[in-house]
Amino acid sequence: MKGILILFFGLTLLSCKKSEQEFEPFKLSYPEYFPTPVYNFQNNELTKARFLLGKKLFFDTQLSSDGSISCNSCHAQGHAFADHNVSLSAGVNGLKGTRNSPSLANMIWSPSFMWDGGVNHIEVFSVAPITNPLEMNETMANVVAKLNKSADYKKWFKVAYGIENITDQAMLRALTSYMAMMVSSNSKYDQVRQGKESFTAAESEGYDLFKLKCASCHTEPLFTNYQYINNGLDENFSDLGRGKITLNPQDNGKFKVPSLRNVELTYPYMHDGRFWSLENVLDHYEHGIKMSSTLDQSLQNGISLTADDKVKLIAFLKTLTDHALLGNSLFY
Amino acid sequence: MKAIKFSISALMALALVVTTSCKKHDDDHDHDTDGNGQVTVNLNHVWGMGTDPFSLDSTYKHPMNGDTMKFTKYKYYISNFKLKKADGTWWIHPESYFLVDMSNPATSILDLGALPNGEYTELSYTLGVDSARNVSGAQTGALSTTAGMFWSWNTGYIMIKAEGTSPQSTSGNFAFHLGGFSGVNNIVATKTVDFSSNPLTITKDKKSEVHFNVNMAMTWCTSGSCSGTSTIMMPGTKAKQMASDFQNGFVFDRIVE
Repeated sequence: MKGILILFFGLTLLSCKKSEQEFEPFKLSYPEYFPTPVYNFQNNELTKARFLLGKKLFFDTQLSSDGSISCNSCHAQGHAFADHNVSLSAGVNGLKGTRNSPSLANMIWSPSFMWDGGVNHIEVFSVAPITNPLEMNETMANVVAKLNKSADYKKWFKVAYGIENITDQAMLRALTSYMAMMVSSNSKYDQVRQGKESFTAAESEGYDLFKLKCASCHTEPLFTNYQYINNGLDENFSDLGRGKITLNPQDNGKFKVPSLRNVELTYPYMHDGRFWSLENVLDHYEHGIKMSSTLDQSLQNGISLTADDKVKLIAFLKTLTDHALLGNSLFY
Repeated sequence: MKAIKFSISALMALALVVTTSCKKHDDDHDHDTDGNGQVTVNLNHVWGMGTDPFSLDSTYKHPMNGDTMKFTKYKYYISNFKLKKADGTWWIHPESYFLVDMSNPATSILDLGALPNGEYTELSYTLGVDSARNVSGAQTGALSTTAGMFWSWNTGYIMIKAEGTSPQSTSGNFAFHLGGFSGVNNIVATKTVDFSSNPLTITKDKKSEVHFNVNMAMTWCTSGSCSGTSTIMMPGTKAKQMASDFQNGFVFDRIVE
């Protein structure tokens, strides 16, 4: 496995707990061309028990007010941990959210969360969907109270975090441990990069086009630069996006550049799920850009693409699908 | 099963030993504080010129326009207590986060625990939660998200949450959630009280109290009303003004020894 960095967390625990399966340090692996993750596990050492507890919570509908939905309802493994190809997700009572559920893959590399970057830390990310009235519509106090009524959960938290009374902090950290393992780094693109496979002619030409026309925002290897830009969707903004967070009018209409890993599966696209195919998206960049005061400089004239360019770009984008992650039995 | 239980507790004990042995020894500090004088910060909440304790059961007049206000909730964060010794060094209260909640009178007495013996000339505190804890992920204790003082959609602690009813409000309700910890919208403020002319003396087994008067009406002395703006739920200029006015109503009273 040359070229693969394998990081072991929990080395100190390893020395005294090697016989205890629940305490086994868990390994997080990613290619050497990936940057160091933003999340450093400093206060939340990655262990098997924490991962498994996070998994249990991720699938638990008790996290919603009426027990109808779980995290998994809108972040399904088969869709690279995005929703099931719907524009807007259904919360409790079938209420529709206001933005498209993005993929949770590679979250530990992200410096901010949500389309508008309003959440600043992966550990507190889950509070947003749990408490949003259009999503799980529950209070953190109620969630913690429900968990504390469960002898099973109490046992799990005792094993994973050594605590008698379940806290929101431990719950959020367990969910973080689970989401942290959603690393997408085994696509064909990665195999090619590691010299194990080669692109077809179309994929290769698509990759060259991509580097020329897309990579300034969708920067390799995570295929995002984590910036907020207005990519010309609207002349007037019904959703202010980043501007809602910063209160700076110059940020109105800007949204986070999403990663393109697994983009083949995560349609529909954009913050509101308005485009149903990659062809629609490329058409938008080619001739659909709407002018506004905050439109990104690089898109003032759109992106020139021929019909052939689009076919090749899409061939390349499909090499970003990570079948290993989609089928990884750790997550089901 | 028994064997598993045993091994888990054994492992925990081991982990504890490892943690303890890795921890830097701070015996001097431990020795200094052991069994020494205790300090509390006592907050006396009033409304305007009134002398009666602020109460959720009372009805108050808005200080500027006379709108009627009855509170169902008034909670705020105070944090990072430090006391300056006569030699110029600071004693820092560890994990110093308090949520003062008007529905629970006990939360108006903040226990700083035991201090090393000596004379103290200044007290420093922060109204709100410092920016470090706003950017460091899931917290616990007073900073738990279960306290309902945390914005999930725009990460950060709410410094003051005041809600209630008013006949002058079109909805019949008012809700002021004041927060913001960064850039121009920062409302978190650190204040210092100088009592060097009459210093606080800590000696063994003595209990001392640092008293503050908090005029809750000050929050509405410039901005916010019921008939006009009856809801603020995001950082910004109005929240900043109201928090600053609240902070001006938070005044050192005296030391009781």
